[in-house]
Amino acid sequence: MAENGGLGKSGAQSAASGSQAADAAAKPFDPWPAAMFVILLCLSVLFLAPTLGVLLSSVKTTREIAFGELWTFPARIYLGNFAEVVFNPAVHRYFLNTFLVTLPATALSIAFGVLAGYVFAKLPFRGGNLLFLAIVSGMFFPPQVILIPLFRLFNGLGLIDTLWPIIFIHTAMGIPICTLLMRNFFATVPGALREAAILEGANEWQVLTRVVLPLSLPALAVLATLQFTWIWNDFLWPLIFTQSDEKRTIMLGIVNLKGQYSVAWGVQGALSLIASLPTLVVFLFFQRYFIKGMTMGAVKG
Amino acid sequence: MAGVRLEGIAKSYGQVRVISDLDLAVGDGELLVLVGPSGCGKSTVLRMISGLEDVTGGRILIGERDVTRAAPSKRRVAMVFQSYALFPHMSVADNIGFGLKLSRTPAAEIRRRVNEVGRVLQLDHLLDRKPRQLSGGQRQRVAIGRSIIRDPEVFLFDEPLSNLDAALRIRMRLEIARLHQRLNATMIYVTHDQTEAMTLADRIAVVNAGTVEQLGSPMELYERPANLFVAGFIGAPSMNFFPATPGGGETDIARDGLGARLGAVAREAATFGIRPEHLSPVASDEGDFSARIEIVEDLGAESLIYLQTGLAEDSLTMRVNAGAGLAPGNDIGVRIDRDRVHAFDRDGRAVR
Repeated sequence: MAENGGLGKSGAQSAASGSQAADAAAKPFDPWPAAMFVILLCLSVLFLAPTLGVLLSSVKTTREIAFGELWTFPARIYLGNFAEVVFNPAVHRYFLNTFLVTLPATALSIAFGVLAGYVFAKLPFRGGNLLFLAIVSGMFFPPQVILIPLFRLFNGLGLIDTLWPIIFIHTAMGIPICTLLMRNFFATVPGALREAAILEGANEWQVLTRVVLPLSLPALAVLATLQFTWIWNDFLWPLIFTQSDEKRTIMLGIVNLKGQYSVAWGVQGALSLIASLPTLVVFLFFQRYFIKGMTMGAVKG
Repeated sequence: MAGVRLEGIAKSYGQVRVISDLDLAVGDGELLVLVGPSGCGKSTVLRMISGLEDVTGGRILIGERDVTRAAPSKRRVAMVFQSYALFPHMSVADNIGFGLKLSRTPAAEIRRRVNEVGRVLQLDHLLDRKPRQLSGGQRQRVAIGRSIIRDPEVFLFDEPLSNLDAALRIRMRLEIARLHQRLNATMIYVTHDQTEAMTLADRIAVVNAGTVEQLGSPMELYERPANLFVAGFIGAPSMNFFPATPGGGETDIARDGLGARLGAVAREAATFGIRPEHLSPVASDEGDFSARIEIVEDLGAESLIYLQTGLAEDSLTMRVNAGAGLAPGNDIGVRIDRDRVHAFDRDGRAVR
């Protein structure tokens, strides 16, 4: 997104300088837009190279890859890697497990964030700011610090090698960011809307569900995308809490797919691409809710 | 419908006392306007009646019901906000029917009543629009529609016209007056605009620093202001004030015996007040005092003349009919309508 913005800006600048050049022919050459363009181009190549590499290796046979021609385009697109991944029952299991973790953890963390955020934004109470700070500071805990205590805790509960610890931890770790974002968004919803709804007979729950939340779709869309992506792509917690292959999530599955004696680069590349599809779909789906100005027309003329 | 009574209402925010011991009674079907400068506590009073704000002390009665501790929705009041507070994601019809929907009124009944309100407020062709597609005046009408649909006992208006431009404000003012006539409902209307107060009110309460300075009909307040504050606040342009004992006796207030005569009216007066419309221009060697014309504002039908005089440091305002032929820099004489002079004592209270 930053790239888009940057390119757009430099484009506008060069367009402006172009029209000015038409007016006054003796306009000196402005190197900035050009320099900006080159820098951004380099950056985008840097960002896209790994994806391209994976894409290339996913359509090559193991033999081709073994020859070390990593960056060449294959003579013939080979789809066998994808077939191998798509028809592999273990992969189905990985996908199912990842959904079983990601969907509830995303939904729960956002739900808690919405409730807490509403209270912090609209129902101030003594010590509220301090509590809010305490919750938000939860974002800054490095997982390594809580890893061993959590392992002991869930071990004691007998939940090792189930999906429960992962759901639980992602829900808990998502609450700070969800609370922060929702509180800040709710704060922009005019207080008069809440008061009007209350005078119409709404209770706080109805204010939240019928007035404030429908106006907060952009924030919900951002959070849903963020949380889904983070949890879907997580490697650490499933690695710690699952052992058997039936409980693995997709990110562990990618690693698992490498053979015992050789690395199946092509198959791994194919699975990597397929594994990133759900996050892409989620982003595309929620993208249309990233609408600015949802509260326009609520107050003032 | 029902009247509203406030008994000894007090409101503090922490240590700061905003309103102390306020009594106010609004009659059944009356339109009472609370008017005062911004920050005087008039909106707070309204919000306490609505229940959006708790009271620190005192009682609020609507009809015979004590609603001091009742939830806002149980008070049978409706409020129109300065910002309209329309729900931007709902259509006009959904906005108007929101309260009915919350109270689980059948959908057909909601539709019937929304259509009825829409017809009354000339919103029928806009019912499917979203608030952002409406003009300011239309939004304000939707907000009024939302308030009347549930037949509340009391209507509260919190500066409802402040966001509109001047022409629209006058039109909406008229519509609110019509609405009051038709519904014959108890209405409490908060504004800082004294013209709005004068034109709409059955009675006006002038609020200043959390207390009611004076309560009365618009003409009562205009003709017999109880104190300097009310005298200065009601009427536009505002009343001219000048000290009762002008400095050093060098002014010609004593000419024609005016000083003595006014003194006879109010021996303990410290300040005199005279409205701009009760001054009139005469030849320069006549009148009660002489003045130099500073600025002339022609408003069409009438002109406002700003006068430099020996009576007061500030210039005095005089309202004359247009075409009086007065030009800046000229010296004229000014006659005071003796019967219309107001006198105030050292504490600012009116002396009669």
